[in-house]
Amino acid sequence: MSLGHYLLLGAGLFVIGLFGALTRRNVIGILMSIELMFNAANINLAACNSYLHPAGVAGMTLAIFVITVAAAEVVVGLALVLAVYRNSATAYVEDFSLLKG
Amino acid sequence: MIEAIAFYSMAAVALLGALLVVSLRNTVHSSLALGLSLAGVAGIFANLGADFLFAGQLLIYVGGIAIIIVFVVMLLGRTSDLHLRQVNQQWGAALLVCAMAGVSLWRLARGYLGVRAAAPAMPTTRAIGLLMLNDYAVPFELVTLVLVAALLGAIFFSRKSADDEVPS
Repeated sequence: MSLGHYLLLGAGLFVIGLFGALTRRNVIGILMSIELMFNAANINLAACNSYLHPAGVAGMTLAIFVITVAAAEVVVGLALVLAVYRNSATAYVEDFSLLKG
Repeated sequence: MIEAIAFYSMAAVALLGALLVVSLRNTVHSSLALGLSLAGVAGIFANLGADFLFAGQLLIYVGGIAIIIVFVVMLLGRTSDLHLRQVNQQWGAALLVCAMAGVSLWRLARGYLGVRAAAPAMPTTRAIGLLMLNDYAVPFELVTLVLVAALLGAIFFSRKSADDEVPS
């Protein structure tokens, strides 16, 4: 296995996540697609770390930080989704036009 | 040989799960497929020799984030959702954007197809712990602050507001 295989896998996962984030109507579907894109970035970080700089662990540490911030983002995002759902009773983003007045 | 079999099977699990996440109509099925895809990514980390990242991925992503997403899907779901289309009108333009991004990323990643591993993988947990408490001590403390803020924010946003509670 070469580094390129891992980078190609990360690219594929990122493109699938990008497509989902652009096209899903359900806001939870968009959050899930963003998680896929985070995972693609983590694969790239870990693969570049262990192939290009095997003596250090800075890339894996950065991936740990990414996982932590992604967990925080999901928790706050889902709480916001629940709050919006309580007001407007919908989970579809084209109905989230609260700021239009 | 074993490494190639493990890589291709885990990559297939991750990519298939991701495709199911973005294409399934039922959001409950799609969130379960997210757990499958995240587990496949954990297998990729194990294949890379990133043992601490593998454990963290399984504990936080598969055991935490996927489960909390399943919970929220069940809280928000209605049976009428199964008959609605889950993809918006702009999927053609999105496909074009994704094709362009995919071709660019492929051209970038193609140049690294010859890079081989220099040394067998070593355990990384001790080195990550030392790095986090020495060089990355300030980002480590900042992340703890972010986690506390996320906890408080989740409680603040998800509780009922005071004027909703009608005294009975």
